[in-house]
Amino acid sequence: MTRRQLAPALLGLTVKGEGQIQGGFVYENHNEGHKIRDRAIYRPPAGTRRAKVIIIGGGMAGLCAGWWLRKQGFTDFLILEGEEEIGGNARSGHNDICAYPWASHYVPVPNPESALVRELFTEFGLMDAQGALDERWLCHSPQERLFLHGRWQWGLDPEAGTTKADRDQRHTFEARMEEFADTGQFQLPMALGKPPDRALDQLSMRDWLVQQKLTSPYLAWQVDYGCRDDYGSSSAETSAWAGIHYHAARQHSAKGPFTWPEGNGWIARRLAEQLKAHIVTTVWTRAIERIGTRWHLRTTGFNVEADAIIYAAPSFVLPYLMKGLPKPNFEYSPWLTANLVIEQPIETAWDNVIYDSPSLGYVNATHQTLASRVNRAVWTYYLPLTGPALNQRRRLQSQDWNFWKEAILTDLERAHPGLRKVVSRIDIFRQGHAMRRPRPGFLTESEAWRKATERPNFRIANSDVSGLPIFEEAQYRGVEAARFTLAALGIIKKVDRP
Amino acid sequence: MAIVLFISVFLIAACGLIYELIAGTLASYLLGDSVLQFSTIIGTYLFAMGVGSWLSKFLVRGLVARFINIEIMVGVVGGFSSSILFLGFAYGQGFRPLLYGVVMIVGVLVGLEIPLLMRILKERFEFSDLVANVLTFDYLGALGASLLFPLLLVPKLGLVRSAIVFGLLNVGVALWSTWFFREQLGHPWRLRITGSIAFLCLCAGLIFADEISNAADNSLYADDVILSRQTRYQRIVLTRWKDDIRLFLSSHLQFSSRDEYRYHEALVHPALASLPGVRNVLILGGGDGLAAREVLRYDTVQSITLVDLDPEMTTLFKTHPMLKTLNGNSLNSPRLKVHNADAFPWLEQSRDVYDAVIIDFPDPTNFSLGKLYTTAFYRLLKKHVAEHGLVVVQSTSPLFARQSYWCIVETMRLAGWRISPYHAYVPSFGEWGFVLAGQQPYEPPLTVPVGLKFLTSANIRGLFEFPRDMQAVAVEPNRLNDQVLVRYYEAEWRNISR
Repeated sequence: MTRRQLAPALLGLTVKGEGQIQGGFVYENHNEGHKIRDRAIYRPPAGTRRAKVIIIGGGMAGLCAGWWLRKQGFTDFLILEGEEEIGGNARSGHNDICAYPWASHYVPVPNPESALVRELFTEFGLMDAQGALDERWLCHSPQERLFLHGRWQWGLDPEAGTTKADRDQRHTFEARMEEFADTGQFQLPMALGKPPDRALDQLSMRDWLVQQKLTSPYLAWQVDYGCRDDYGSSSAETSAWAGIHYHAARQHSAKGPFTWPEGNGWIARRLAEQLKAHIVTTVWTRAIERIGTRWHLRTTGFNVEADAIIYAAPSFVLPYLMKGLPKPNFEYSPWLTANLVIEQPIETAWDNVIYDSPSLGYVNATHQTLASRVNRAVWTYYLPLTGPALNQRRRLQSQDWNFWKEAILTDLERAHPGLRKVVSRIDIFRQGHAMRRPRPGFLTESEAWRKATERPNFRIANSDVSGLPIFEEAQYRGVEAARFTLAALGIIKKVDRP
Repeated sequence: MAIVLFISVFLIAACGLIYELIAGTLASYLLGDSVLQFSTIIGTYLFAMGVGSWLSKFLVRGLVARFINIEIMVGVVGGFSSSILFLGFAYGQGFRPLLYGVVMIVGVLVGLEIPLLMRILKERFEFSDLVANVLTFDYLGALGASLLFPLLLVPKLGLVRSAIVFGLLNVGVALWSTWFFREQLGHPWRLRITGSIAFLCLCAGLIFADEISNAADNSLYADDVILSRQTRYQRIVLTRWKDDIRLFLSSHLQFSSRDEYRYHEALVHPALASLPGVRNVLILGGGDGLAAREVLRYDTVQSITLVDLDPEMTTLFKTHPMLKTLNGNSLNSPRLKVHNADAFPWLEQSRDVYDAVIIDFPDPTNFSLGKLYTTAFYRLLKKHVAEHGLVVVQSTSPLFARQSYWCIVETMRLAGWRISPYHAYVPSFGEWGFVLAGQQPYEPPLTVPVGLKFLTSANIRGLFEFPRDMQAVAVEPNRLNDQVLVRYYEAEWRNISR
């Protein structure tokens, strides 16, 4: 806006009348999940299907396990997904404006060490053999902005109101993260790193900051934001090792990340196209049993017999399916995501963060369009419910759509006064167990769980066995389990890691 | 009665401060740099009040009548001050002298008020009481005004109406004074009539405040506005002065009919005249049909595809008699087909290949338009240009925006084009730059079509020579994920357009 245009605007603004906002909750069949928990009676399935390998769970880990199996020329496998759609946390929706994500929505430019991500992305044409990136799906300018003290600024490093001490502390923090990066223990996926410093894992990220005498409130906010962004937990609830991983494991040189209107649904859709012949949806696994040398599955659709199982569904469900297993000592964050239809052109960045908000702000799903003129947009709003998970889960499920609609609009209207007048639709996705929280001690808990689930020809593959709920871990865990399985079946030679 | 007198003092003081605040606010909105504007306005205003106070000693006779006259003058000048300044700014010439002139006049008049009033009242009150009370109410009025201004007046009334409302208060005090001091006045009726006329003028101003701001908008354009239309995408304004027709899109000058031939001949002929047998031409942007007029000079051209976002723009230039004369009725040519679409997505879905592509997009003033100048766009373009074909891009001014110009050159080079930069002088724009690109080495044409007004086969070579002050500078290329061009452009044009 030029100053000349501003002059008439000072004389009075036109106000549009408030329309009715449509919307509701999406994917509300946690009933099926609860039936598993309550061991509800279901009709015994008729018919039996056989496959050498069964992959339970069609999220990113399960899809990547299938992707890798097929690359080895192995095709005797099925992927069983309970929901109607594959993708898990990479599910997405679309309307007449554009596609939009329901959860995970970007992947950082892979480090040179992240061979599997690079392999997949090269296959999808996102990078070429020399590692040159296709800018079509790199996040377009402007990438990030922050609403701080009543105005938007570019970038997420708080500027307005910071003192020299605040900025010095941020530089100290960044220097510390560089040092951590140089230790080699923070890699993506984390299994590629040197052995982790256990002392860091015993500490919360907030306590680590205090220990380092990093007391700047702006830095505390920024670090807390990082924890909530990747893990859905506050810095006080996050292991310092995981909190540092967020900052130390990514290379900052390349302008990224990769992102798509539908978020990581873009990857899921491509994988699903390859794996079409292997995927069965709307099939809930209800029991897993080892009889003799074979695995027997009972599902809501049919019985399955298999030589090996890759379990890529969330870990907390497994004890309800398999006898003699303890519950994993994991905590899961509840999340709310919402997609808002905005009926007016509003200039935004891709990622729009509101300082000191409980939410992470919103991502403009329409941002990656090539069009110069966008009259309507979809914004994806992210709200991790930090704090005691059980209480927050109850709160998430007990409040109605109107309550959450108001909560979302109230939050966004801090930065966009009068926004409700241009919102026509708000669809909300509630997830009680959206992702595992890497709380202090999570590294030990992961190991204990991996050990407890060791069975012949059985491998657990969800990213929650790593503990960092991110794409790179899901892919690594899927591929690792697939490799283990083919080795166990004697199809390939045994190796330590992909 | 005394209290009513002091309320007048209160009101006068409030009015005085309001005019000062309005001038300061307007100056900082319209000129920027609010610290500078506010301190110079306040300084000038206080100085002017000092001048007024000093001048008051030269007024010796008929003090009451003079006081009332001054009140009326303050009311009229102060009341219309923001209207005058808005309109003055819109004309764009000598705004600062006008601004400080208005501030001086109001300041001098306000400076006269209190000394005169105190001299009028010195017979009625003890001097110590008089000074104490007048100054108390003076300062109270200032406090009231300074609180009222940001909290109520600017948000509710806007600057034009606020000034007028306080002008009415001044005139109201004047009218009341004609009654209160009636014994000291020779001809109260004369003053009452003058005051009433001023009062009515201000009331009219209040009613027509919106028209005043519209008038300010209209007169942003120096010439007669012959057409003004707000479309979904932009504001189209056509002006005319004698035989000079000018087109403005969202306040940016697109062409002047006096010299547009220079721009359009330079845009089209270096490319087309060097392509013997050119058949298919794509024009991106250029909804005014002026580039198409030049393309239609080539008999070999069989089809022109013109892609412009705004249907109202192309319809206007297809139907308006004056504009049809200007573009030679090119948009109605059977050889030309118009697509109203966003260029980047349109090109992405298209499979057609052209002999020549003429790109006449708006300058990269924002990130949305900046996408049309990225490596991604120029790479996509390669799929749509024949092996021997040529592309030409209007590329802003290599003189005023040197980095921007060479950034476009560098971006096209990086996208794999052979580049031939050139420039031409267009009086209403200044030095203007173009980038010609192809896959083969380029040689300027030996002949040009007959009937041109600017280019000859001899002077066309000279366009490719760059004087020292426009030669290449080191710049980064413009990418979707790192739009440096928008930053260059903004910085460079900001330096010029002050």
